[in-house]
Amino acid sequence: MDNVFAIATLTAALRLSIPVAVAALGALVSERAGVLNLGLEGMMLAGAFAGYSAAEVSGSPWLGLLGGVVVGGLFGLLLAAFVVLGRSNQIVTGISFTLFAGFATALLFQQSYSIGQFPPRIERLGLPALVVITIVVFTAAVFALTRSTAGLALTAIGEAPEAADALGYGVERTRTVAVGISGALAGLGGAMLVCGPLGLFIENVTAGRGWVALALVVFAGWRPAPVAVGAFLFGLSDAVQLRLQGTNTAIPYEVFIALPYAVTLVALVVRARASHTPSALGVPFVRGAT
Amino acid sequence: MMRAPASTSDDTAEASGELVADGPTNVAHGIARRSMGVEMISMIAIPVLGLIVALVVGGVFIALIGENPVAVYVDVVDGVFFAPRGLSDTATAATPLLLIALGYSFAYQARVFTIGAEGQYVVAAAAGVGIVTASGVRDLPGPILIVVGLTTAACAGALWSGICGVLFNRFGASIVISSLMLVYIGQAVLQWATRVGIRDPESFVPLSRSVGAAELPNVPGINVHLGFVLAVAVVPVMTWVLARHRLGFRVRALGHNPEALDANDTPARKIIVAVLIVSGALAGVAGFVEIAGVNGKLNDAASVGYGFAAIIVALVGRLHPVGVLISALVIAALDIGFEVAARSSDLPTSMAGLVQVLVVVFVVAGDALLERRRSVT
Repeated sequence: MDNVFAIATLTAALRLSIPVAVAALGALVSERAGVLNLGLEGMMLAGAFAGYSAAEVSGSPWLGLLGGVVVGGLFGLLLAAFVVLGRSNQIVTGISFTLFAGFATALLFQQSYSIGQFPPRIERLGLPALVVITIVVFTAAVFALTRSTAGLALTAIGEAPEAADALGYGVERTRTVAVGISGALAGLGGAMLVCGPLGLFIENVTAGRGWVALALVVFAGWRPAPVAVGAFLFGLSDAVQLRLQGTNTAIPYEVFIALPYAVTLVALVVRARASHTPSALGVPFVRGAT
Repeated sequence: MMRAPASTSDDTAEASGELVADGPTNVAHGIARRSMGVEMISMIAIPVLGLIVALVVGGVFIALIGENPVAVYVDVVDGVFFAPRGLSDTATAATPLLLIALGYSFAYQARVFTIGAEGQYVVAAAAGVGIVTASGVRDLPGPILIVVGLTTAACAGALWSGICGVLFNRFGASIVISSLMLVYIGQAVLQWATRVGIRDPESFVPLSRSVGAAELPNVPGINVHLGFVLAVAVVPVMTWVLARHRLGFRVRALGHNPEALDANDTPARKIIVAVLIVSGALAGVAGFVEIAGVNGKLNDAASVGYGFAAIIVALVGRLHPVGVLISALVIAALDIGFEVAARSSDLPTSMAGLVQVLVVVFVVAGDALLERRRSVT
């Protein structure tokens, strides 16, 4: 009995951690290039909506994932146009993007399904498929960041954009691509949430997971492998709270609702100082400014 | 034992990766050193144009869903200016937005980016309503009860917000993220408070007792509760503090030129906590006046998103108290106007929200364009 419970919880934890892990990888790519992507929550939400719509229309959750990647990536490129090319404030612009995605997806969702009509469930991807995608994405990211010229240039641009620029690397171009990839991964994460564990879209379905992902990058010290560990920690507390909400305990169930966010807060605090923040994070690049 | 606090701006920037002193001007430090012409464009032209473009794009969207945009906008204007309660409803809706946005602007002027007012708002509403409905307290005379409720709510909001400052100063935890995590935790507190903590024992649903004598009276002559006057009164106070008071000077110094603070021997961390306390207290006051002025009771659905809408208000108001007042009224008018327009059409309920958020997106876009032009020339 206890074993069944433990296995079910662990499976649920894995299921719930995957979308966060993939989105966090997106945050990491952008931040390694020196751009803070606070639009991540919005891109995840846009990806979730696009994924749901694409899967619902086509009948294939795989096309749903593709829809999430495309819409998230476009959102990312748009953000890059603002913060990389326009050099607008990264924090303010990112937050505005997240607010925008929240209202836009709510509106489109309301328009697509009249009130009272129950939005159809979509076919869900099984856990093995989600795990395989996650492993592929993480392996590719680790390889690209640590072994490829482009990945090393990306990290260099996040640390010392002036030096990278002097060596002939296009700072603005690389950062634009990085934020685009970041959006695509966030969109994929959102789509994996609705096409995977949930099988349906509701307003604000991501419920802050994009922000959790941003916190996990800090916790992970901007390295991909610990991101996966942190995401599992979040998924576990999410799964545990879902389990415990239904049980009768002396502890008010609101404690469990708050648990995943409290865990994230602790993770943020534990590692914040010890981390290896990219030196140029959040600083727009202006050639010849320094 | 205690880790070395971030005493210089360099440490601060490194630790968080967010309070970064980037060179070029932008939304968040709108009033930096620059020419009058650019400043006028930034302070007035960008928000006005942003609103116009947002209304045009919103109109296109309205046309796409099969409504006549002109008719809808006529309804919106009618609903605000000519409906019996249009103006008073707008003022009532603007009250929490104004209070919270003033707090945000104060923090953003110091380049301390908090987005957690929603959590401070609900926790403070629970604390304020809790104290004025507690046995023994609830029999006090109205005016005293209101002061007790406001003070409690302000303290609760300040505390909830101040946590982020402490986490940042001691551990370097990003304020953007910690403040948002505390929103979710605050919402759980609200759920518990209305279900168990301060619940009216006679109610079948999660609901507090009525605030009773603490209910805010209407301003004589108009149909708007006293909270609106309170919120508007904060505008000149904050304008004065920012322009003339030592704290305002330090807030602006932290935003524009942190080195000046060092020369002044004021640790940045003190200012960071101070602005978070001020913004949290204002969000807390907003939570109490909204319940005591409008509903009279606190229910579990009190988290309606003022804390997020106020981010739009602060940015569109260019972080200037007077600008924030104007933008709070405009944003609230969109809410009320679209609500009226939705009655005679098939507009979705989130239409106002879309237009509001388009305004802020275009304002940010305007900043980006302005910045790009400036640096090219």
